[in-house]
Amino acid sequence: MIKIEKSEFGTFIRDLSAEYKLFAPVGEGRQSAFREVSSADQMNTSIQMTQNSPKTVFLPQTEVLFEFNGDDIQSGEKAAKPMFFWGVRSCDARGMNLLDKVMGQSKQRPDDPAFQDPYWKARFDNAVILTLACHEPASTCFCHWTGGNPFSKEAGDLWAVETETAYLIEPLSEKGKDFVKTLSGYHTASDKDKQEIKTLKKQAESCLRPAVDAKILKEKLPKIWDDPLWDEVSAKCVNCSACAFICPTCYCFDIQDEGKKDKGKRFRTWDCCMFPIFTKEASGHNPRSLARERVRQRVMHKFNYFWETYGESLCTGCGRCIRVCPVNLDIRDVAKQLLEAASAV
Amino acid sequence: MQETKNKKDWQPKILAILCNWCSYAGADLAGVSRIQYPPNIRVLRVPCSGRVDPMFILKSLQNGFDGVLVSGCHPGDCHYLSGNYNARRKFAVLKPLLEYIGIEPERVQFSWVSAGEGERFAEVVTKVTNEIRKVGPAKRLVKGVDS
Amino acid sequence: MIKALREEVRRLFEEKKVDLVIGWGKGSLPMTATPVFIHKAEDVEQLIWDETCSNNLAVYLTKDKRQLVQTNQKIGIVVKGCDGRSLVLYAVENQIKRENLVIIGVPCNGVIDKKKVLKQTEGKEVLSARFEKERMVVEGRGFKTEITKSDMLSRSCIHCNHPNAPVYDIFIGEPINTDSDVAVYPDVEAFEKLDCETRWKDMVESYSQCIRCYACRNVCPSCYCTECFVDQNDPQWIGKSPEITDTLIFHLNRNLHVAGRCVECGACERACPADIDLLRLNRKISKEILERFNFTAGLDIDEKPALASFCENEKQDFIMG
Repeated sequence: MIKIEKSEFGTFIRDLSAEYKLFAPVGEGRQSAFREVSSADQMNTSIQMTQNSPKTVFLPQTEVLFEFNGDDIQSGEKAAKPMFFWGVRSCDARGMNLLDKVMGQSKQRPDDPAFQDPYWKARFDNAVILTLACHEPASTCFCHWTGGNPFSKEAGDLWAVETETAYLIEPLSEKGKDFVKTLSGYHTASDKDKQEIKTLKKQAESCLRPAVDAKILKEKLPKIWDDPLWDEVSAKCVNCSACAFICPTCYCFDIQDEGKKDKGKRFRTWDCCMFPIFTKEASGHNPRSLARERVRQRVMHKFNYFWETYGESLCTGCGRCIRVCPVNLDIRDVAKQLLEAASAV
Repeated sequence: MQETKNKKDWQPKILAILCNWCSYAGADLAGVSRIQYPPNIRVLRVPCSGRVDPMFILKSLQNGFDGVLVSGCHPGDCHYLSGNYNARRKFAVLKPLLEYIGIEPERVQFSWVSAGEGERFAEVVTKVTNEIRKVGPAKRLVKGVDS
Repeated sequence: MIKALREEVRRLFEEKKVDLVIGWGKGSLPMTATPVFIHKAEDVEQLIWDETCSNNLAVYLTKDKRQLVQTNQKIGIVVKGCDGRSLVLYAVENQIKRENLVIIGVPCNGVIDKKKVLKQTEGKEVLSARFEKERMVVEGRGFKTEITKSDMLSRSCIHCNHPNAPVYDIFIGEPINTDSDVAVYPDVEAFEKLDCETRWKDMVESYSQCIRCYACRNVCPSCYCTECFVDQNDPQWIGKSPEITDTLIFHLNRNLHVAGRCVECGACERACPADIDLLRLNRKISKEILERFNFTAGLDIDEKPALASFCENEKQDFIMG
């Protein structure tokens, strides 16, 4: 385990930004996000969680797929300088892995590149993600419901924890190991440091609130598919898309063409299943015309459908949707209500 | 798409939305009487100035028009009785709003021109064209340009 | 006052005067209230009324929630001044039947904007909040601070002069006396004084943050079209991406569609996940409409909306000839 003293941190970041396109948490409050930085003072090192997740870099809101001018077609795919992400929390790191299951790997046809998104792969395959342990989970955090933990080492290429005087870093993946090999001149972590990690982990876990086991919820959800409880649960939802846009694992997109005559572009842009017209068909029929159907779909997708297909929860428990919802529709309360109803069946 | 607006040979492109019964007829009269006026307008004929949705004006600015002129019947003379009164209210809200966000006020203008006012139509177009020529090519709100 | 509210609602259920009451309940986060739907007298204890009750509940009578109005004979709804104006607007625009609504007015001294509180705590999470007269005491991990009400008041409430619902069936407590009925727009006037370049730059910088989530449109009670212009694709009025020109046109056109109908409740601004000052365009339009047509939205059930009526002799200084 490498130890980077806080006094060395500025130089470390400067060197890092020379080798990589370095992304780190920048900004405050609702405009905070992962943005490119070239020095440590551009970073917000005290933020618990950015409002906008790293998804905004890996799956940007708008992405040009290709541009055309007459017969000349320019693909939007660009070979990017490898990216390094500093300060990603474990919920977001898990989120990017989940997105990779959909966009990068292809469960249906693992060896067929036609099922892999080249734009995603160009970015994600070349990125090094450093998962930073979370000292003070917010009251809205519930990563432990879905098998996560503030100090989880489940996702990312490197894992780091901030102590009083230093950052302690260890590799998690092959990419991480290769990266650590390039670091020289730093101390290694002492036993005292490792003891401090244990204390910090306990402190972090004490901030977490009582959990609901999402696995049990997943098993029981299909039982209450038609329950009138969904009307109650969805009553206050106003069908905006704040939750989906801010969610690190929502990946639905719309594709549009824009241009004039023989010059234009095709791009994709985030879409949201909460919009009433999301499932509107050309005939005018809309299979999810009611709010209860859309809210049910969102909850099922996160806590059941994805689990059935890919083996884990699509929700990582980051809590951003809870903070951003204009009507305070709290997914935790919804989960508890559903579990109660499902257990009664 | 965006054409290069070379300062030397740039000519303003102005959309003139004219109501069928008064302003369009007035423009027609100007033409028949061989009255000269700048050739920068592209005419869009509508049944009444009340048909004009502020979205037409916004989209015109977005698609590269340097200015928009909307012209209708004089108040009291509307072929549909009150269409131009409704239009007047819409424009009374739209014009200050556009100015508020920083769109030059000369770009979007309104006039009342009747069917018998051929000379007047030419005057209005000349005035509007000259004013827009002074403020230069439209860059704000244009699609595909970072301004 | 909360007791009085609950008693009134209980009485309404017992006298079978309502099938459903829409009000506010305690939310799952500090300083947050959430809309609640009460179907029976036993549930009235969920109702609260304080400065966290910021949602405009009128929104649940239209749009995708239309079936509430269609399936419930009588609906009771708790409203502040601005929300009550939305109900008047609905009555004027034939979106509700006045006789099927039981309007419960509450006296409002303004609601808080959580974003302002977070600015005061420098972004640190608030774990508990307690109101004490004109202050709020907030506590988080390792800090405790007091914030005055004026520092956390929602922007829409600062210049509000309609704190009481203009039309109501029941009023809880005493209506609030306002010093003056005259609307003031110092924020709009200040922006008008800036030069053209500065105003444009400010607009672009502010609206570049917009992620086009449409939360503003969805929480707005005046936006109830079954098909919004944004969702039309034949013709497609604006592009789907958050390119600044499309974003600005979305906001301009949405505000033009609510021109003369906006009650300045501030729900749009509070719902925005990107902290944009959304009220600024609405307030400019409201100011123009007040000055030119002497009209304020949502006050008089018998008055036609500003853009649906006209006066023959009107100021037309902006028109040539």
